[in-house]
Amino acid sequence: MRVPMSWLRDYVRTEATTRQIADALSIATAEVNGIERRGVTGDLSLFRVGKVLEADKHPNADRLQLTKVDVGETVLQIVCGAWNFGAGATVAVALPGATVANGLTLDRRKLRGEMSEGMILAEDEVDLGTDHNGIMLLDDALAAGTPLETVLPLVEEVLDVEATGNRSDLFSIYGLAREIAALFDGELVPLDESLPARDGDEALDISIDDYDGAPRFVAHLFRDVAIGESPVWLKARLRNAGVRAISNVVDVTNYAMLALGSPLHAYDYDTLHGPLLVARRARGGEEVKTLDGTVRKLDASDLVIADADRPVGLAGIMGGEETEVADATTNVLLEAANFEPVGILRTSERHALRTEGSNRWEKGVDPHVAGAAAAMATRMIVELAGARWTGAADVQGDLPQPAVITLRPERVTDVLGLEVPDQAAILAKVGFTQEGDGYRVPTWRARDVTREIDLVEEVSRFRMEAIPFTLPRRDVTFGRLTRWQQLRRVAEEALVGAGFSEAYTPTFVAEGDYRLPEPLSTEAAALRTALAPSLVEAARQNVAWGNSDIALFEIARVYRASGGELPDERWHVAGVVEGGIADAKWAVEQVYAALKLEPAIERGDERLLHPGKAARTSEGWFGELHPQMLEGAWGAFELDLDALVEHAPDKVTYAEISSFPEVHQDLAFVVDEDVPAAALLAALREAGAPDLRDATVFDEYRGAQVGEGKRSLAFRVAFGSLERTLTDEEASAVRTRIVDALASTFGAVLRA
Amino acid sequence: MDRLAAVDWDPDTYVRDAQAALDRATTSDEVEQVAVTWLGRKSTLKLALREVRDRETGIRLNAIREEVEAAVETKRSAVEQAELRRRLETERVDVTLPAGLLGDVRSRRRGSLHPSTQVRRDVEDIFLGLGYEIVDGREVETVRYNFDALGFPDWHPSRSPRASLYVDDGTLLRTETSPAQIHKMESTRPPIYMVSIGRVYRRDTIDATHYPIFHQFEGLVIDKGITMADLKGTLQYVLRQLYGPEREVRFRTHYFPFTEPSMEPDVSCFNCGGAGCQICKHSGWIEIGGSGMVDPYLYEFVGWGPEEYTGFAFGLGIERTGQLRHAIPDLRLLWEDDLRFLRQF
Repeated sequence: MRVPMSWLRDYVRTEATTRQIADALSIATAEVNGIERRGVTGDLSLFRVGKVLEADKHPNADRLQLTKVDVGETVLQIVCGAWNFGAGATVAVALPGATVANGLTLDRRKLRGEMSEGMILAEDEVDLGTDHNGIMLLDDALAAGTPLETVLPLVEEVLDVEATGNRSDLFSIYGLAREIAALFDGELVPLDESLPARDGDEALDISIDDYDGAPRFVAHLFRDVAIGESPVWLKARLRNAGVRAISNVVDVTNYAMLALGSPLHAYDYDTLHGPLLVARRARGGEEVKTLDGTVRKLDASDLVIADADRPVGLAGIMGGEETEVADATTNVLLEAANFEPVGILRTSERHALRTEGSNRWEKGVDPHVAGAAAAMATRMIVELAGARWTGAADVQGDLPQPAVITLRPERVTDVLGLEVPDQAAILAKVGFTQEGDGYRVPTWRARDVTREIDLVEEVSRFRMEAIPFTLPRRDVTFGRLTRWQQLRRVAEEALVGAGFSEAYTPTFVAEGDYRLPEPLSTEAAALRTALAPSLVEAARQNVAWGNSDIALFEIARVYRASGGELPDERWHVAGVVEGGIADAKWAVEQVYAALKLEPAIERGDERLLHPGKAARTSEGWFGELHPQMLEGAWGAFELDLDALVEHAPDKVTYAEISSFPEVHQDLAFVVDEDVPAAALLAALREAGAPDLRDATVFDEYRGAQVGEGKRSLAFRVAFGSLERTLTDEEASAVRTRIVDALASTFGAVLRA
Repeated sequence: MDRLAAVDWDPDTYVRDAQAALDRATTSDEVEQVAVTWLGRKSTLKLALREVRDRETGIRLNAIREEVEAAVETKRSAVEQAELRRRLETERVDVTLPAGLLGDVRSRRRGSLHPSTQVRRDVEDIFLGLGYEIVDGREVETVRYNFDALGFPDWHPSRSPRASLYVDDGTLLRTETSPAQIHKMESTRPPIYMVSIGRVYRRDTIDATHYPIFHQFEGLVIDKGITMADLKGTLQYVLRQLYGPEREVRFRTHYFPFTEPSMEPDVSCFNCGGAGCQICKHSGWIEIGGSGMVDPYLYEFVGWGPEEYTGFAFGLGIERTGQLRHAIPDLRLLWEDDLRFLRQF
């Protein structure tokens, strides 16, 4: 909300500066996002009220006037381009030396041969409006020479206040003034609820059909209303508050809403059928054309204001076009009602229509303030539009009565960690009056203060900076990473060491087990079941950016159908790497080794992969990306991190190292192409036990020597015993066992 | 027609003849040969096109050209598919071999942890030092745990599908990690000292400061005698660990459904030291999250007495922390996975 300081200071007397006010509000009440300085700069004493003594056509220019203006101690000759005034007018004058809003500093100079000593001001020249069609005409009661700043807000500071949704009372200038008075021990000017004298006693037919939706409906009737422009000060305030000026009556309703937080609406009384107004639910098939020109189809959930025949407005949100106040209006019915928040919110969402009014109602406005808002608007309509106030109605249901809430002083201490002996005084300043061991909640806080803890918060707001900085005193402490968290770090490190950079890709993909009923886009419509496709996309982007040596990994969740209410969420680790299956395998080996696991590998059929270069492990898959996925050769892998952690050994138990020398040999076997190296190695290990200490595959060879459809696989083996040095005979016996076993199982032939 | 006749060809059979030639081709090379013969610079069609002087003939010949081009393209892709299939069938490796025998494993420069992971680890370590547990619940939650348990009123805008990402009527992608805290409260009695870290989701339009996915770290402490002073002290400690020991921390009153009193912590701007600059929007302070005392409603929700314990909760953003620490101007950089970005960290 935009809050002009001059307006705020109408309601609160304090020495505090704007900056101090902004800072204090930010801490205790609502965040002030900024202070905007508006208006003119420089010496304000050079702006005066002037009386036009003479005004004649400029002798050398048809479109200019040559005037003599009394500005107090002297009379100035001023050339002026406007014609909306003549001798006798009271105007605003900038003297030579003054700087007007567009930054121009005035001096004495000749215009078409005549000396001009200053400027008669239009509203845009002092940033009070955008109108440049004529100069501002001031109240004739003002004396020549009166400092203009006492008449018009030549300089304004505007606070940008962002109140939280629970504090509907802060969506009003008076509500903020109340907080400032409390914060600075200032004087809050009492709310003026006085009404002007009634000039008539007309009966008004006002009723409420739905007291839940509309607990209160105040209506005032005005006759002989002169619709016109609002005075400059009023337009300036609205403008600074971010509301467009329209006409005096409409401006008054907006002014009272901004001042007190309770929105109002004005109807052209003569357009109402009946004439009567009722707050009721819309009926099937009804519609209303709102002020924005849109025809709105209504249903029974919409609260409307209706006359005898039809809805004339969406209650609290926007009035109807057919009954709006126009230039020709002479009789005005003013509505100052109260509407319940949830219904307003629903209707405003359904019609995608948010207004200053709906924004306030949906937060819950104090029904007791409707009377004060009606009073303020009534005083202003009578004064500014020369109207006669001739009729009034105030229909209300059972308005909620202020609750009394108990507050134990020590509860404040327990929650704040600070004793606040003056808590009663603090609460009194924001309207909570002590009653017994409790406090009566003011009507404007009835919605957000309902419990003792809410009163504690009220006290805390005013002691925010006094609360000390301490740490909890603890009896026990239990901070450590879980095993899963530790091993996630291990996996991260392994992949970073293998040259992979970590990516964060989106959770959403085009297809998955769980589709979003309202997707973000067609590409982000479902929860992913695998990470690799997202990484392939990231790799593709990196290729497009011209990056080289691309290697990306990610650790994140996938979401699989569980059959239950919630998806089966599992953590995966996946990677995509420029190169091929060897690079993918290398990364997978690193991850497994880091977790002290050995992968059980077999041929796989993952559809992202090249079918001849696809492998599966018990925790996932790896291989070469299918050539249609990405141009060039790429490796990829995806493993279930939860399964890896589950399978990883809790601890490593020492395996004895032999203190006797080992015999190292290389054994090469020729086998059929389709015998996997891992199968040979497993058989070799089994046959070599217990004296086989170690065995690895170190070479693969194909060629004429081994024959078509066959290959040679070479193993490096170490023989040895824990008890003694093996004799040559013993070592060769182990070797023979191995050779025989591989020959009988796989038809493997030892190469000489 | 005369002019066409002059170059000695029959447009009516051109397409048919080209198609016949394509049908005979079985390899990519043969398809390319057909393309040269029937569409190349010296093809009868191209020569005829060069001679065209009237619009009608031009349109007709171009139609023929397009038809032949389409046929070549269809054949080309069919042959490529077949060749690819053959290649994939014949290219077969023993996947059980060690990486080094499967091909050349490139030696690579060391990779990097994503800046958000680095922040996550720092956060984990800071809270481990304070004796907290690190928890990450689940991402798809029930409305009950994501909103009801946390005291979100029915009208709260976050409940709207316009603000949150629903999976179905009763479940949604969590909008904060707090549901993990409710689960914790249901499964154990205080003392609770925990911080939940993980992905959360909101229906935001992507721009420099919004992304529908982000990461939060949210603390929850419930014990006997916990006060707002403890919350202030804890966050001051944590923020100084994250942003530097000379940082000041202030608190502003605020509103959150699940805390009462609620407040927002600000950290003094590390860029200007409080004098005001672009980063702190000239206020000297940087907003970094939300916090407050656990609303007694939550104790009742899990079946405890409302005053048996007191506690505090706070929530801060991982990405925001990373952005502030590393002066990353645009949130989207954290999700683009550009190696020129990732390798800097």
